Amino acid sequence: MKSKQKLLFLFIFVFSFTYSQEMVVSGTVISSEDNYALPGVSVMNQETNKGASTDFDGKYTIKATKGDILEFSSLGFQIVRITVENASTINVSMLTDREALDEIVVVGYGTQKKADLTSAIVTVDAKDIVKTPTGQVMQALQGKVSGLQVISSGSPGDSPTVRLRGVGSFPGTGNSNPLYVVDGMFYDNIDFVNTSDIESFSVLKDASASAIYGVRAANGVILITTKSGKFNKLTEVNYSTYSGFQVAQNVLKMANTEQFVTLAYESGSQPDIDNVLSAMQRYGRSRINPNVPNVNTDWYKEVLRPALIYSHDLNISSGSETASYSLGANYFSQEGILRMKNEYERFNVRASLDIKANKWLTVGGNIIFSNATKYDDEPGAWNQAYFAVPILPVFDPLNTTATPTAYANAKDIGFRGGQNPFTTLDFNDHRSRIKKTIANFYAQIDLIPEKLSFKTTYNHNYISINRRDVALPYDIGNGVNRLESRLAKSTTTVSNQIWDNILTYTNSFGDHNLTVMGGTSFRDESTEGHTGVGFNFPTDSEKTWYLNFTEQDTREASDFGSREYGLSYFGRFTYNFKEKYLLYGTMRADGTRKYQEKWGYFPAVGLGWVLSKEDFFPESTTLNYLKIRAGWGRLGNDSVGASDGANTTQFIVTAINDQETTGSITTSDFAYLSWEYAEEFNFGLTGKLFDSRLSLEADYYIKDTKNAVIPILRPIIGGSVRRNFGIIRNTGLEMSFDWNDQISEDLSYNISTNFATLKNEARNLSGQEYIDGGSAEFRQRTYVGESLFEFYGTEVAGVYQNDAEITADPTAQDEIANGRSIIPGDFKYKDQNNDGVIDGDDRVLLGSYLPSFTYGINLGINYKNFEFTTSMFGQTGNKVLNRKRGEIIFTQGLNSDADFAINRWHGEGTTNSYPSSQGIRKGWNQKLSNFYVEDGSFFRIQNIQIAYNLKSKNLFGLDIPETRIYFTADRPFSFFSYNGFNPDVANGVDTQNYPTPSTYTIGVNIKI
Amino acid sequence: MKVNHYLKGIFALIILIVFSGCESKLYEDPENTQYNADIDFTQSEDMILPLIGAYQKFQSRGWEQIPLISVRGDDVNAGGLGDQQDFAETDKFNYNKDYWMYNSLWQTMYVDMVDINVQIEQIELYRDNGASSQLANQYIAEAKTLKAFLLFQVSRVWGKVFIPEGTDVLQWPLRDKDEVMQYISNLMDEAIPDLLSIHPNKREDIKGGVTKYTALSVKALSNLELKNYQEVANATEKIIQSNAFKLEPDYYQLFKKPGKLNDENILEFQYSDFGQGTGTNISHLFAFYGPQNWTPAITGAGSGWGFYEPSLKYIKFMLDRNETVRLETTVLFTDRGINEIKSDPSYATLPSWISNTTRDGDVINDYSRALFSSGKFYLPSVQLTEGRTDYGTSKNYTCIRYSEILLMYAEALTQGATGTVMTADQAVNTVRLRASLNTISGVTNAQVMDEKFAELATEWGTRYYDMIRLGNLNELSYDGRAFSEDRTYLPYPQAQVDLSDVLKEEVSN
Repeated sequence: MKSKQKLLFLFIFVFSFTYSQEMVVSGTVISSEDNYALPGVSVMNQETNKGASTDFDGKYTIKATKGDILEFSSLGFQIVRITVENASTINVSMLTDREALDEIVVVGYGTQKKADLTSAIVTVDAKDIVKTPTGQVMQALQGKVSGLQVISSGSPGDSPTVRLRGVGSFPGTGNSNPLYVVDGMFYDNIDFVNTSDIESFSVLKDASASAIYGVRAANGVILITTKSGKFNKLTEVNYSTYSGFQVAQNVLKMANTEQFVTLAYESGSQPDIDNVLSAMQRYGRSRINPNVPNVNTDWYKEVLRPALIYSHDLNISSGSETASYSLGANYFSQEGILRMKNEYERFNVRASLDIKANKWLTVGGNIIFSNATKYDDEPGAWNQAYFAVPILPVFDPLNTTATPTAYANAKDIGFRGGQNPFTTLDFNDHRSRIKKTIANFYAQIDLIPEKLSFKTTYNHNYISINRRDVALPYDIGNGVNRLESRLAKSTTTVSNQIWDNILTYTNSFGDHNLTVMGGTSFRDESTEGHTGVGFNFPTDSEKTWYLNFTEQDTREASDFGSREYGLSYFGRFTYNFKEKYLLYGTMRADGTRKYQEKWGYFPAVGLGWVLSKEDFFPESTTLNYLKIRAGWGRLGNDSVGASDGANTTQFIVTAINDQETTGSITTSDFAYLSWEYAEEFNFGLTGKLFDSRLSLEADYYIKDTKNAVIPILRPIIGGSVRRNFGIIRNTGLEMSFDWNDQISEDLSYNISTNFATLKNEARNLSGQEYIDGGSAEFRQRTYVGESLFEFYGTEVAGVYQNDAEITADPTAQDEIANGRSIIPGDFKYKDQNNDGVIDGDDRVLLGSYLPSFTYGINLGINYKNFEFTTSMFGQTGNKVLNRKRGEIIFTQGLNSDADFAINRWHGEGTTNSYPSSQGIRKGWNQKLSNFYVEDGSFFRIQNIQIAYNLKSKNLFGLDIPETRIYFTADRPFSFFSYNGFNPDVANGVDTQNYPTPSTYTIGVNIKI
Repeated sequence: MKVNHYLKGIFALIILIVFSGCESKLYEDPENTQYNADIDFTQSEDMILPLIGAYQKFQSRGWEQIPLISVRGDDVNAGGLGDQQDFAETDKFNYNKDYWMYNSLWQTMYVDMVDINVQIEQIELYRDNGASSQLANQYIAEAKTLKAFLLFQVSRVWGKVFIPEGTDVLQWPLRDKDEVMQYISNLMDEAIPDLLSIHPNKREDIKGGVTKYTALSVKALSNLELKNYQEVANATEKIIQSNAFKLEPDYYQLFKKPGKLNDENILEFQYSDFGQGTGTNISHLFAFYGPQNWTPAITGAGSGWGFYEPSLKYIKFMLDRNETVRLETTVLFTDRGINEIKSDPSYATLPSWISNTTRDGDVINDYSRALFSSGKFYLPSVQLTEGRTDYGTSKNYTCIRYSEILLMYAEALTQGATGTVMTADQAVNTVRLRASLNTISGVTNAQVMDEKFAELATEWGTRYYDMIRLGNLNELSYDGRAFSEDRTYLPYPQAQVDLSDVLKEEVSN
């Protein structure tokens, strides 16, 4: 954050010389904190618009005339402006930003001084965001902001799941994504934002901060402004690039052929053994162990690949007294680690222009054009690679009739399905061409200079998505085929407009400082599109992948569209007395077409007290600054789908006498909903200690979602219906510490840590004791007083080791009396109600998918020209359902993970926590239990970066511009016990999770 | 300076005026939406649409549903060894209330019943707006019959179940099986006067739809469960008297494409690929029943999953009777299966027609999941529409056949009921003659039951429910199974007990 120069404190050393014409001014710029020279400071003569910058020793020279104003600016320091008098030497001492506490924070529809904040707003340094090589901005935020949970989606171009302060809306009914506001425009998805285009990034965490966004703010608000030019600034050209590769991290080990064959024999299931025998017949016997087939496929290894990632980025900005601009272009390309057409490519250009038209009118505009092509992964392949048996090769030369590739077919050796994931990988192609144009234009009128201003802004977000899904034909025999090629195309056009008018009044009356803002906003959001599907077209060349080439009588077309309007009135009032007592209030009235109830009202208040400004506060170098603050606000959630409010009827087709016969089906029930809203209290503390080297932010919040829309499972007939039933509470404590210190001229470092706790609780389910979720086999249940959708099943007490143990256990005897077998190697369950029977009544909550504790650690060391930064991130308290393992309930005899293959029970005393190979095939052992629900704690080295800064030097006779060379390892190491790629699963149910890649890049930044 | 002030003021005023115009947008109707209220119920010819909707719900049966209803008899085994173990356990009368199939069968059957009720309400709306009352009555009677058939199956599986009356499921009463069967019988009495007295395949609007004889059949079935044999005789007699039905001479083709909407069939789930190799295909997943390994006469035709294996007991029973076409139609043999039969010295030599190649040239290869495959759900690969490869594509699923009506009639008579349309001997012999068997006279109830076993094996669990009703439990304890009376019904799905206080109370009693 650049800052204005209130409370400016500077030292000017003026030596008296007397020249009245142009002269050469020179001097040294130092840091006021340690008196060390500052290289790279921009020095600008505001009259001539000419500039210079300081050299490595902090020295500069510039031409100036008496009366000219020189501006000194450098990132992290306050700007200094000095009028040239007679002296030709002007030495400047610059103040660091953090000392001043005068930082400006972007808030909803305006800015506020950080010192005046009463709510929980976190800003993230744009420099920290660009350290992560990614196309997705939010990916870079993982672990950076306490209370902000970011779960990467893996596949290139896909947006991560983001949750701010827990889950406030019932999963599945409303989304939990925060509202993104980029340059004033509302977004659900910010995949178009290039990380290096960001100028400021604010996370509005609590309700008092975000209530100004009313109905859209229930899940928190993230404000992003993109780069714009600065008035009176020298031209700056920045080029940066990086390139590198990604490799899958923590690849799950699966059972190999030896292990698989052992499991098959131990299962006692003849078909499983027969399949092994037919594999030996077909593929031969291993020369090492003649009792296993001569195949040992590691399917994950086969479907994974190292993948490239690179980026080029060019930015030019400049500004005169009356006009400033910023132009940029960047190109980002990322391959997916799944071995198929899975990649993302994005080319962005942008321009921003601000013009001071006259003394009272400023106009400007900002346009970003983003052009991306994305090839989606085929998620089913991950699941297939898990289940595919190692005794199946990728290719099978005996499969001579297969077309177009002789892929092996598991049906040929007796399995029910074809299994081979390569048919999925090779014969699917999902391309999206995504074009987004984001434009905003504004005019600002200063009605009363410095006091009353009016700003009107028009924003337009135009998105066009051309999607093409191609399913290519193949036939690997035995009915494993797709004989018809299928082509589906869709075109979606989104046109969202927002028109904001804002009136801001700022004034000070003695010790009373007042800002009042009032505004209106009109929103028009429309989506329209059409889809077409056809079959059987020439597939050899992409040139014919058009519906025109499909069989005419198979073509189908449909369209869709919606349009929503919103109208809002809002205002903010901030007041402080001597910058000591802070008062804050906002109000928003939102009108929407979406609900029957047109208007919703969203107030917020905040209070702050800067104790350190009180007279009684002891002057101390230990505790330099202390502010306590509290806020309350109400937020709306309109991500909940509009309710039908009445039965709907749709047309269907069925077969009557071999004729397609049309009928209609009317729904039996419908959702009837009113507004869902959240109310939140936030209590916070801001402090600076030890000569402001340590800064501290702490917040505690209680957020209640009222009228929460909840799906009620329908008894008898299955399915669910939505009702406004619940109260959901999220509470948490968030703290962050930031320590900066300079040890010597060459060595400085900073450490920051943050952590957040989260308790998620259903407070009221409209009189119901609980609500079921998940599926019948993988039950999740929400009890009043407990977290949403906790896993619900039986508790494993151990594994029966011998017959004596079974004889002694009444629950086992009951099962046997019911005609089932219990033998050593089967689970022994905890009989929760001690009735001697293991049944549904013995199920208990097995844990929540939400982490109760998340933490991040960032460390930076600067030594001379070297920079080392690292960040780490971890979480505990969450559970993951290993559904891949659990799906043995649907299908068995397929592969198991190596953990099970190694640790399975295979004789008395071998293990007390894993069933036998025979056991896991039995219903008794397949009940959802804590065997399938695993600990999701992890600790990850998020990012390591080593950089070398070359400050404008003359090297080998060449002028080298300011250059930074760096190496980045992104998410290189993760530590966890979960049996999967990654316990960081958005909804806690791991079926087919894209693995987290580790990314290694080298990069260069050049600044001229 | 003054000019500037005016400019500023005008600027602000324009914005204010334009902005205030936006508010009316909030009150515009949403786009691209049509509510049920928008339907024009005065278009009387559209009254058939909700009825077709009811048929669509009725026919959309998932692959696991009918097998779970049908697997427990001594005519058929689970097959599919190594897969769906709890399905195999169910076949052995070891039940797991947490098993997904139980819940799936329960809730899909009931959701379709409630949806049929909703469609009935829609038909009423057309009537209220001027549609023919008589036609509305007929449509409603059809929908009731469809619902009754589903409810009948649910009650046979679980015994005491909810009666789906109205659309508020919380008001549905839980009733003993006898009460449910009586409810079905009464519901059919309501429906019968409103229905057409023709063969379903003679209908012009909905060919293969419900007629009076469908409702009479459902009534007979429910009364059979109640052992109201006279009512069974009365209902079946009316069907026989109508002369609308006759047995298909070609028993084999009856279960193939040529048998669709046959004169013998009273109720079918209809599926079709509409004779097209691509495009819409309304299908049932017959692959479940198919052999897991075959060499089809038409290369590329998909094989099945290897479930639902006719039992060795049934095959031997048929061999003992010198059955031919019914055995051939019901069972697909593998070489491994043939050897298994022969390993019993009494069956060391088999009729020469028994082979692993079907009469349509499909070769059933050995596979480890089962010894035999189901023939009644087999569609020869030569009958597939060119371009379709999924097993059984475009085959119908038969629900009620005329031969079952004849045998129910005979059963009722041998249980002491009176009927005048024909004798029990005549009824049984009609069925036997079609199966190329000699006639018999003085049929006993045991002989009728044997005939039902032979004729209806692998269809809808008829054999299992017959043995239960007659208390002939020893028959069910075959191949190492031990049946006892307490295993008659499946336990309520745990997922349903979790959601229903009524069921919770029922289970705790």
